[in-house]
Amino acid sequence: MTIMQIIFLITASVTLFAALMVVSTRKMMHAAMWLILVLFGVTITFALLETRFFAIVQLVIYIGAIAILIIFAVMLTRRSMNADVPQVNRNWWLVMVSSLALFVGLVTVMSVWEGFFVTARTAPPGGENLVQLGTALVDPNGFVLPFEVASLVLLAAMVGAIYVAAERKEK
Amino acid sequence: MGIPVSYYLVLSAIMFVIGILGVLLRRNALVTFMSLEMMFNAANLIFVTFAAYYRVLTGQIFVFFVMTVAAAEVAVGLALMVAIFRTKHSIDLDQMSSLKG
Amino acid sequence: MNLSDYYAITPLVFLVCWAIFLLLVDLWIPAGRKGITALLSAAGLLIALVLVLRSGEQVLTAFEGSVVVDGFSVFLSVLFLVSALAGIALAHDYLQRLGLERGEYYPLLLISTSGMMLMTYAYDLIEVFLALELLSIPLYILAGFSRLNLESEEASLKYFLLGAFSSGFVLYGVGLVFAATGYTDFPGIAKAAQNGSLNPTLFLIGAGLVLTGFGFKSALVPFHMWSPDVYQGAPSPVTAFMSVGAKAAGFAALLRVFVVVFPGMSVNLTPLLWALAALTMFVGNIVALVQSNIKRLLAYSSIAHSGYLLMAFVPYGNASVRSDAIAGMLFYLAAYCLTTFGAWAVVIALEKAEGKGLELEDYAGLGHRYPFLAATMTIFLLSFTGVPLTLGFWGKFYLFSTAVEGGFWQLALIGLLTSLISAYYYLRVVVIMYMRPGTPQVQRNFWPLLTSGVGALAVVILGIAPGVLLNLAVSALLKGL
Repeated sequence: MTIMQIIFLITASVTLFAALMVVSTRKMMHAAMWLILVLFGVTITFALLETRFFAIVQLVIYIGAIAILIIFAVMLTRRSMNADVPQVNRNWWLVMVSSLALFVGLVTVMSVWEGFFVTARTAPPGGENLVQLGTALVDPNGFVLPFEVASLVLLAAMVGAIYVAAERKEK
Repeated sequence: MGIPVSYYLVLSAIMFVIGILGVLLRRNALVTFMSLEMMFNAANLIFVTFAAYYRVLTGQIFVFFVMTVAAAEVAVGLALMVAIFRTKHSIDLDQMSSLKG
Repeated sequence: MNLSDYYAITPLVFLVCWAIFLLLVDLWIPAGRKGITALLSAAGLLIALVLVLRSGEQVLTAFEGSVVVDGFSVFLSVLFLVSALAGIALAHDYLQRLGLERGEYYPLLLISTSGMMLMTYAYDLIEVFLALELLSIPLYILAGFSRLNLESEEASLKYFLLGAFSSGFVLYGVGLVFAATGYTDFPGIAKAAQNGSLNPTLFLIGAGLVLTGFGFKSALVPFHMWSPDVYQGAPSPVTAFMSVGAKAAGFAALLRVFVVVFPGMSVNLTPLLWALAALTMFVGNIVALVQSNIKRLLAYSSIAHSGYLLMAFVPYGNASVRSDAIAGMLFYLAAYCLTTFGAWAVVIALEKAEGKGLELEDYAGLGHRYPFLAATMTIFLLSFTGVPLTLGFWGKFYLFSTAVEGGFWQLALIGLLTSLISAYYYLRVVVIMYMRPGTPQVQRNFWPLLTSGVGALAVVILGIAPGVLLNLAVSALLKGL
């Protein structure tokens, strides 16, 4: 056990505990808070891989934007969670069994791989090559098409969200 | 001695399965949505891990796009939920039985 | 800057620019005259159609091989553009009648169509993922387009959650494929798969998860949960567009990914595909038997047709049958597209506000009062069943015969059997239309009537002479085959 491994294990267990709490807690606001902890755990994992840029981006986009939006939505719909109503589906046992099977399947099949215990390589010292990343995004020989498509996805989402949420005029 | 790849893979696999559990189990649309975000994060973890492992750019580029798409989906999804809540005062998926049959 | 890259995807670029242009122009078009927007978007689609057809049969690669324009993508692009045209023809009057006339419908439809086209061009998993989102996000909004109608909003939310769930699976699957090989572009993955420098277990799970994700998208059976709700709740023109476009795009992506990237995995994947196809055919057709709402009936029928389409995938590992199977699938998709839009046009002609006019009982007496509509509906239902001399018959014929050729005669038998079951619920509608007395109310509007008329004509003429369409489907070759 090295110090890195210990840090990783602590982060992982906190993240997974928080993930379980998101799924199981009764209060929506608590679920949102636990979700932030999950996202933060992922940020630390990114940092352990020395992908500094993505650790920051994860922090800014997921926690700074997405989680905050979710909290807004929780507040806007806050009366929707009635603690008396059962919170789970009727066929919860089916879900449990199949998810358990999926998980056991995933892990056992993965552990067959001989590279399973190969040490993960972190990003090269100094973090990712940001210049390279930035150029690739706008390079016609790189990823300019996906980049443009992503902007189109955002445009469609914006038009759609405005349409859905705009004040409706009753006729 | 660093951290084996398997640690990252297992962490992401467990997160993915918990996400699926949440989507299938919970009746509240917002909690379902949070579980979806966890599934996306699990995938991001794989991309970042292996982008560093193979030292290629594609994995990082992919994470970049996943985040963009996640932001787009959050906008649409939350707008829908708030709109439904305004008319119905509930976002319980099991109560959306006006469509069952 | 390489202009020839953009030249290869001119139709796509044009369509996207046109959609953005429409978004702006729509601001100056007064409410109540949105017919102009509809006409403009139809014009844009027609121009894109010409641009697609112009590119012909040459195989073009662009953007460092991440985009491929071949016969396969041209065939499907034409299909998507025709679907979008039909989606507009059916929508304009419908939206007006239900008081939903808003200009946003048309640009969103165009953007979704461009996502579908990109899906057929994509030669890189990054693009497959983004195309999936580009086609889905506008569809989530369109499904909830009638904002005052709770059912439509709920359908939209359910479609959104289901769609995001399926993207989650696709994404995780792609992640595992990337983990196994270190590539996301198809040639890179295929090369890694050939020289064995990959991790086969991760690769296999990745393939399975990608299949699951697209299974949700195309409403295959264990993953069909909410699709009937969505199909029922969404506005009918959107449902028609969704059930053709989104499904065809999902199958197109699956087909390209499977044939180019996973050809070596057929030993493991074929039994899975077999089971999915059989299950989808059975469940879709049997549950459809008890439906009394026409939209729901067509929803289950569309699930059942996914099962038939999936049949074309089962022998994909067998190189001698593969090209026949792909041609069969393209033919079936074209037949399904024409028939579906025709049938939905009739449904839309009978549908009234607040979800009235959608029960099967509302079709009683249609045969006497409106012989034209009843006759076209009968043709579509017969084609869905696969009665000889209709287009649907040839579609099923080619699919079943390639399944037999590939050595999967049991599957063809299941297909035949379930088609017989489906005859019951399709013909029941015909019986209600002609045998029961009733006074159906029909909205006489030009565009839906035109759509159903053209659809019926195409189904009959191509049913008598299927060779034309088949030749097109056979020559629509996939690159790398």
